[in-house]
Amino acid sequence: MKEKVFNIRNLNLFYGDNQALKAIDMDIMSHEVTALIGPSGCGKSTFLRCLNRMNDLIDDVTIKGEVIYHDKDVYKKNFDVINLRTKVGMVFQKPNPFPMTIYDNIAYGPRCQGLKKKKALDEIVESSLKKAALWDEVKDRLKDSAFDLSGGQQQRLCIARAIAMEPEVILMDEPTSALDPIATLKIEELINDLKENYAIVIVTHSMQQAARISDQTAFFLLGELIEQNDTDIIFSNPKNKKTENYITGRFG
Amino acid sequence: MSNKRKRMDFLLQVTTYLAASVALIVLSMIFIFVFRNGAGLLNFDLLTSDYHARFYNGGIEEIESQSQTEKPAFLTDTDYYSEKWGIALTDQDDKQGNPVIMISYIADDSPLKQMYDKNNDDNNDFQIQVGQSLSSIKFYDKNSALTIYGAQHMINELDAVDEFREMVFYSLGGGIRGSLITTLYTIGLTLLFALPVGIFTAIYLNEFAKKNKLTQIIRQMIEMLTGVPSIIYGLMGLAVFVPLTVRYTPATSGNILSGSLTLAVILLPVIIRATEESLKVVPDDFRSASLALGANSTQTTFKVVLPSALPGMLTATLLAIGRIIGESAALIFAIGTAVKDDITIFGKSTTLSVHIWSLLTDEPANIELASTIALIILIIVLILNLSVKLLSKRYIKKFSR
Repeated sequence: MKEKVFNIRNLNLFYGDNQALKAIDMDIMSHEVTALIGPSGCGKSTFLRCLNRMNDLIDDVTIKGEVIYHDKDVYKKNFDVINLRTKVGMVFQKPNPFPMTIYDNIAYGPRCQGLKKKKALDEIVESSLKKAALWDEVKDRLKDSAFDLSGGQQQRLCIARAIAMEPEVILMDEPTSALDPIATLKIEELINDLKENYAIVIVTHSMQQAARISDQTAFFLLGELIEQNDTDIIFSNPKNKKTENYITGRFG
Repeated sequence: MSNKRKRMDFLLQVTTYLAASVALIVLSMIFIFVFRNGAGLLNFDLLTSDYHARFYNGGIEEIESQSQTEKPAFLTDTDYYSEKWGIALTDQDDKQGNPVIMISYIADDSPLKQMYDKNNDDNNDFQIQVGQSLSSIKFYDKNSALTIYGAQHMINELDAVDEFREMVFYSLGGGIRGSLITTLYTIGLTLLFALPVGIFTAIYLNEFAKKNKLTQIIRQMIEMLTGVPSIIYGLMGLAVFVPLTVRYTPATSGNILSGSLTLAVILLPVIIRATEESLKVVPDDFRSASLALGANSTQTTFKVVLPSALPGMLTATLLAIGRIIGESAALIFAIGTAVKDDITIFGKSTTLSVHIWSLLTDEPANIELASTIALIILIIVLILNLSVKLLSKRYIKKFSR
């Protein structure tokens, strides 16, 4: 059952006087992978960070428009940001595990929500690591530092860490750009598995990756959403000339 | 052209060599000076014994019975023994290098144990002991036996009589136990005041405060305060903390509490800056990751950022302790310069570095003991340095990429 998770209406974002996003309209569906593509500086990462309000951390950002998550505008006053971020997880470009043990990394989010029972935490850690296809590799070394893992394992740990919060949406900001091809492949397989349960929004620079893993593709250019459609259509029969130029490598 | 350049290069290189060797020579000369002067006195007794000599004047009634103990086997030829009085004396030098006569043995049945304190009838500590020194023995009908005539003379004179008017003996002074304890108290109290305030201020400035003009001004002020000479803080200690402690505690003058409060003020800017530096190098990745998991900024700061900044904060603590041990100018006013043996937080006393100051302003200056204390300070700082390095190295090994 696919349903609309995010409904973005006329979203404008300014860094100071500089407009980074221009009148974006987009829907994001559950149980789908939505890929955001476009050249560097086109606003796709900025857009992604609007969805869980991570742009709040940056000074001097103004946002106009609506980002509706299940009938509620996340930019309305008194909106519970903490709650939003537990429901909309995020995986970053560089693997960024905390300087703690593997176990504590996964348990961090639930603990911050006040979960203290060891048994419940144990279960969450195990199931999250299993879902992130990392359990077999780390089950004997949960008390080791997360930094002992390889880059690809660290990134899967970060995905497991996001899954531990039982989110509805997982945002991924170029999650494989710092990884080698084999680790990338594993992450892509993982994303394919994860869309059974989660809505995934992924920013990627690799058009092959977008074509391989996504159901929907959105093409951004200079802060504008040029075209959004099924991935097959975007890559075989784009309606906009700019999209075609970009995916065929004529610029960008 | 090329020759000129070669000469220029040579000149520049030689200059760096020269500068480096001058610096090295000066630094090692300090070490050598301190070591040569101070190493002779350095021993464990120095750390545990009192600074002030304590004199006792013992009197004795006619002796009831002589000692029956023979000279024990462990005494050597340099220990002169009186079988009659059951006491062995030996010639030695004290910590300042002056000749003294040490009591090296007292027999259990020595009549000297029957002596009473001539100054104070009910003095319970009064007891002649091994380790004390004999200053003089005053007889009824002949000249007194004095230290300068040596131990053998004193024993001979003592053997010739059945009673004497007065025996003056004392426990040797020159130890630094009091100043050492004061220093430890001061370190503890100062850190107790300065660390929490400093660390939390740094957290506020770096994590919670809005990045605006006001924060910038506060930061500038703190930066400025690190450069203020400590004597000015000493003035403040004298004007504020000493009266305050005198008013609200049993203290009557400068004391450890007022000194620690003054030092805490001196250290605040140092700790704030060092902590802020260590917070700044914590990657923003950690903060975003934590916030994206639905942690609030307090949880992020205390669960993720602070643990990562711990090695930096350890360094801040080390810097602080080094400064506490080394500070003298401010403490001359804020604690005072009285070298004491019985240390209480509200009483007069002085830290090791002010002790050095006291010794050097004495007439004549006691360079040897001052150097020994300097050596002890050097050793303490060295140990601190090494242990913090070790700690942070272990920590970094465990949790870094």
